[in-house]
Amino acid sequence: MDYLVTVLLPQLLHGLVFGAALGLLALGLTVVFGLLGVMNFAHGELYMLGAYAGIAVVGATHSFWVALILAPLLVAALGAVTEVATLRPIYRRAPLYGLILTFGLALVFREGARQIWGGDMRRILPPVTGSTPLLGMIYPNYRLFLLGASSVLLLAIWLFFTRTRAGVLVRAAVQDAEMLDGLGVNVPRLFTLTFAGSAALAALAGLLLAPVFTVYPQMGVEMILLAFIVVILGGMGSMGGSVVAALVIGTAQSLFSLWMNPQRVAIAIFGIMIVVLIIRPRGFFGREGILE
Amino acid sequence: MAWRALAAFAALATLPALPGLPTYYLLLAFDALLFGAIAMSLDLLMGYTGLVSFGHAAFYGLGAYATAILLERGVLSVWACLGAALVVVGLYAAIVSYFATARRGIYFALLTLIFAEVVYTFFRYTQTFGGSDGIQGLPDALLWRGVAIDTPRRKYYLVLVYLAAAYAICRVVVTSHFGRVLVAIRENEDRARFLGYNVQRYKMAACMISALLTGTAGAIYPIRSAFATPDLMLWTESGEFIISVMIGGLGTLVGPILGGAFFTILRDKASSFVDWYFIVIGGVLVLIVLFMPAGLLGVRRLVGFRQWRHGA
Repeated sequence: MDYLVTVLLPQLLHGLVFGAALGLLALGLTVVFGLLGVMNFAHGELYMLGAYAGIAVVGATHSFWVALILAPLLVAALGAVTEVATLRPIYRRAPLYGLILTFGLALVFREGARQIWGGDMRRILPPVTGSTPLLGMIYPNYRLFLLGASSVLLLAIWLFFTRTRAGVLVRAAVQDAEMLDGLGVNVPRLFTLTFAGSAALAALAGLLLAPVFTVYPQMGVEMILLAFIVVILGGMGSMGGSVVAALVIGTAQSLFSLWMNPQRVAIAIFGIMIVVLIIRPRGFFGREGILE
Repeated sequence: MAWRALAAFAALATLPALPGLPTYYLLLAFDALLFGAIAMSLDLLMGYTGLVSFGHAAFYGLGAYATAILLERGVLSVWACLGAALVVVGLYAAIVSYFATARRGIYFALLTLIFAEVVYTFFRYTQTFGGSDGIQGLPDALLWRGVAIDTPRRKYYLVLVYLAAAYAICRVVVTSHFGRVLVAIRENEDRARFLGYNVQRYKMAACMISALLTGTAGAIYPIRSAFATPDLMLWTESGEFIISVMIGGLGTLVGPILGGAFFTILRDKASSFVDWYFIVIGGVLVLIVLFMPAGLLGVRRLVGFRQWRHGA
């Protein structure tokens, strides 16, 4: 019982917190994939830029809350410009080109960040300090805030896709962009806005996780791999699947690390992924025939 | 075609004889040719079979570690190193290709990627093999008793011989009936199956050839660099292989050799001029995708990646 409250429960909550943030990252990846057919390798760098933009805004305004609004907007603007300049010309090409293009963009962003902010590890102080007694244990307030904020965001995204006209348009474009174009919707603009939105989500995840993790130019590289795993595990293009898979991977990683060293944890996560891909190749909620 | 290849290799063979060529350039040529050879082996999969492997860094790295571990323990024979690398990479590639070729398109890419990450994580955290530092300070390998591969010139000829052999193997493969079946699988996997070909067995064979060639390249690398680190098998390395193939032109064999060499030299030159050379490399990639999608040598039409096409 003691073990449950002092070890298992906090670790489980850590996992959920991380999983929810990972879900934000994976959602953007999945929507861009479903809509543009591009596996966005630069997504991890947008996540990283979100954290750095946050540091810059915090430095200028001394407010984490202003940064939480401004940083995603800045990264979204960068995403929109990038989309128009580089991705728009290659919509009709095989997805492999999108992969390579975004790989190149990732290199540019990563090195750009290193040039501007240097290669050192940085930290953001959490805007909320202290901890709260919860279910018999003490849990840091910032992580509770993180869990709450991610959950609210995920709910808001779900409402956006189910209840608003814009959300329905995006889903329609995933189904059949050509048809939507024929119906008079400005599809290129929709694509650009979606890409910008996904960039904003990645930036938000980066900034929200920054007080928990450290900020450095390479921080996106490991994260993007995990996000890819989540997207595949959830089923390519399935938004609900991505969120479920993010929570599963987040908690699995966190619980495994109780009993194993980091090496075994990583290998165990990859092992789960391999087994899932072999027995359920389309992930939890994948539809047949996507990118096969 | 054959005489052109012979002429090219003859020209490359005279490179060390150039008067006043600094050692530095000979070693850069080594790296360029080695990278080109790997890109060519990957082209066998990407360009001819239509399978994009994101895990070639693991074949490369395993080969490098096989050599490094033997050299570190005093087994200096090149042949022992190459043999060990072929066995290790062959076993690993057999497992990966068995599971990965059962899936198509992006799932193949991801399975190879994840298998490679498992290998990377293993070496990254195993202290017996040096952990994240890898194995450093290796002695020179011996070609046979008393003949060490110690000068840059000898190292260069080693990689040149390897490239020539690998090119000959790839050329034979793609011109054979086997190679034509691979192209048929790329163009339409289902139809190839209806014609009675065991598609998965063909794909596995293509994977094995490509993996073994890449593993051999990996086994040669520590002979020049005197180290093997886990970074050799990081997934970004696999990304660089793919990029080299794309720069050179899919499905051309010679193109990826040029692409790999171009990429190596670009990385080296850019890094000696500016600190922010990754921006240059990334920018060049973006420009190539936008304005030169078929690569340096590519055919003018986009190679038929049916399995990759959205929703196909």
